[in-house]
Amino acid sequence: MNSFAFFGALETGFIFALVALAVFISFRILDFPDLTVDGSFPLGAAVAASMIVAGFNPFTATICACLAGAAAGSVTAWLNVKLKILHLLASILTMIALYSINLRIMDGPNKALLGVDTLLSPLDNISAVPYYIAYPIAFGLFTAFILALVIWFLQSEIGLAMRATGANPRMARANGVNTSRMVILGMAISNALVALAGALFAQSQGSADVTMGVGVIVIGLASVIGGEALLSTRTLLKWALACVFGSVLYRMVIALALNGEMFGLKAQDLNLITAVLVTLAIVAPTLKAKTKAKLNTVLNSKTKQAQE
Amino acid sequence: MIRVENLNVTFNEGTPLENPVLRGLSLAIPEGQFVTVIGSNGAGKSTLLNVVSGEVSVQKGQVYLGEQEITHWPVHQRASQVARVFQDPLTGTCESLSIEENLALAQARTKTRTLSRAAKKAFRSRFIAKLRTLQLGLENRLTDKIGLLSGGQRQAVSLLMASLQPMKLLLLDEHTAALDPKTAKFILELTDEIIRSEKLTALMVTHSMKQALSVGDRTIMLHQGKLAFDVEGEARSKMGTQDLIELFHKNHSELDDDALLLS
Amino acid sequence: MSIRFSTFALFLLTIFSAGATVHAAPAQKYVAITQIVEHPALDAVRKGVKDVLSEAGWNEGENLKWDYQSAQGATATASQIAKKFAGDNPDVIVAIATPSAQAAVASARNSNIVFSAVTDPVGAKLVKAWDQPSKNVTGVSDLTPIDLHLAFIKEVMPEAKSLGVIYNPGEANSVSLIKLVKQYGPTHGLKIIEAVSPKSADVQTAARSLLGKVDVIYLPTDNTVISAMEGIIKISEKAKIPVFAGDTDSVKRGAVAALGFNYYEVGRQTGVVVKTILNGKSPKDIPVQGIEKTELFVNPKAALRMGLTLNADIISRAKEVIE
Repeated sequence: MNSFAFFGALETGFIFALVALAVFISFRILDFPDLTVDGSFPLGAAVAASMIVAGFNPFTATICACLAGAAAGSVTAWLNVKLKILHLLASILTMIALYSINLRIMDGPNKALLGVDTLLSPLDNISAVPYYIAYPIAFGLFTAFILALVIWFLQSEIGLAMRATGANPRMARANGVNTSRMVILGMAISNALVALAGALFAQSQGSADVTMGVGVIVIGLASVIGGEALLSTRTLLKWALACVFGSVLYRMVIALALNGEMFGLKAQDLNLITAVLVTLAIVAPTLKAKTKAKLNTVLNSKTKQAQE
Repeated sequence: MIRVENLNVTFNEGTPLENPVLRGLSLAIPEGQFVTVIGSNGAGKSTLLNVVSGEVSVQKGQVYLGEQEITHWPVHQRASQVARVFQDPLTGTCESLSIEENLALAQARTKTRTLSRAAKKAFRSRFIAKLRTLQLGLENRLTDKIGLLSGGQRQAVSLLMASLQPMKLLLLDEHTAALDPKTAKFILELTDEIIRSEKLTALMVTHSMKQALSVGDRTIMLHQGKLAFDVEGEARSKMGTQDLIELFHKNHSELDDDALLLS
Repeated sequence: MSIRFSTFALFLLTIFSAGATVHAAPAQKYVAITQIVEHPALDAVRKGVKDVLSEAGWNEGENLKWDYQSAQGATATASQIAKKFAGDNPDVIVAIATPSAQAAVASARNSNIVFSAVTDPVGAKLVKAWDQPSKNVTGVSDLTPIDLHLAFIKEVMPEAKSLGVIYNPGEANSVSLIKLVKQYGPTHGLKIIEAVSPKSADVQTAARSLLGKVDVIYLPTDNTVISAMEGIIKISEKAKIPVFAGDTDSVKRGAVAALGFNYYEVGRQTGVVVKTILNGKSPKDIPVQGIEKTELFVNPKAALRMGLTLNADIISRAKEVIE
């Protein structure tokens, strides 16, 4: 692949790493399968794009995008904890509603941002570094910052309470944790991250589109599961890093697939590739363990032979 | 100190599976008293505990902690004053969290949680000292995930967690039932010691009449959602298992729960 | 842990070697096509471009490198395709449909870009104005000549007072078109009534909502509505409300008439622009083009089924009369 494609994969990988971290919080920490993200990703894009085009400061617009995402996540959580709707269903309901809301926000299905001043505009003017390298570096640093923030939070008293809520809600309650509040908080944080990713993506992409959220949950899950299969998850930090890595890896594989000459693969084959990747990722740990066990048996028998 | 009045709890009300588990049960436990609760299956022992802890709501009746009525308080709100050790060691601890993190979680039971670091260095020395009292070597394994420990070890830690902060009431729900006899004995002795040294008010459900008499100040028996008998003090200290059975038969028909009779 | 690390290292090695081992076949010109999704209309555009280039002497495999990638509807993929193309440095990038065009303009800032099948290039911020293409971006818009369509409808049905439109508010192009319909409608004495259909399954409900309120129905070039057109035709025939369309294929499927264009011709127009750039002209000297060829398609039998008789004059003007 050429360097543009490589840095492009890094850039998209780092932006979607925020989605991977969000899915890490909802799916792994809170044990809450959350489809809201298919709606909160374009929500963040819609809010940011509409506000920027309306003349607001891009920084303010991006913050508002996060708040909108937080609101969406809270609604899903509220449907689940207060109205006792199954978490998956609750998230689907919010996702469906967000489609109409996004259309309203953008007053149409698409809001163009090309040529408009965004958060990324300063990066276009660095003489030493061309934009296609500056963007991934900037996003990489930003994602690292968010990662540190997430880890710091999960290690705080409230963060620990949230982890207990997902792992063992009954025990958490017996220890004074308001689990309903924790679920709402966790879902708010998760979807704020997704909306942030959407806002940043729209600003780098040049537009916000109402359909841009389709499949985001699959990308997030593929990133988390793929990263877990390849990297250690022993500590929280390592686990979150694995998710970020998974996101970048996913984009690298897509970039490879676009290099049609290499494998005869085309972008059209992407859904199939994603399915194969995720299946491999789920199966990999078992395969690895079996291979390790076989290796050990072989090594042990060889050692025994050497000793005799 | 702890008072329940006229508790009525029916599960699956209005369906063919309707089951009246507690039928007008009233009980008052003064401060510092250690009460053991026995009864056959379905007698309502665990339900009584769940009503006091807040996990089950009542159709009729009230629950008081001191002068405060807490009948409608949710579990987490009662948790600042009520500590609990579950029957299943897996329920009482968080498998994926470390020993230190589990303890930190319990440490914050009575406080408002903040964004400050949970597993504070300042707590470490206290945790290590407390773990040392268990004599299981756990004080050297603070950062190990608690899922690596055996059931007995986890139950010991659960007990420790319950006693990390002051409480008005300690609830023990057949907490030795899932353990082998040797570990069960160890945990029971530990329980007795903690309750005595901290002068706790405690309610312990047990399936064993023998165990019920070996610890505590007072023993009550539940049968079909009502109080079958209630003994304490001098009279109780002279009683053995057989005496309890006769006491039961005075007012009730055949008691046919083998496990209760033989353990 | 070591197995994981070596997998990771192996993976990195693969990526970098992939870049190193790819050799482009020697080609005189290199045209890269990014399309948002596979779709008959968009595929026809692509074919139009290819045919024009072939007629001008550029053939794939001989002296033309032709790299076509579809984003499968995912904007993130369109973004990665655009970035890949930016690095491949083709002579021209052809971007078919608005999302792919926006991604191309955002990422391939130094490549020549020709967009096609974009209804509102100014609204999509691809160019500042139709006669102000940017230094590397120009293209062909498929904006329907709405004014002409409404004039034609009024010509065929002078007594019509209200016009119903069915569209998917989730399609940017349709939203632009409806705005134009509402703008031009009153100038032709037509009151405009909207019915929305977010999915192709909602099309019939939308059509039914117009019954009794409108004298005639107009279907814009909306992917959702066109894909489920037969449902509308059935309802309109029963209610005797004539249906006019914005594209000619719909006339074969039962619409009364269309002053249409077809996407293959749009593709050919685009191909001419690409050819001009390959021959050395700069995009900034090529204004954005709209539909040049309109053709009248009529379907007198369908009209009769909807209670409308087309007069001989109109039929004689038609390029094609559907039997």
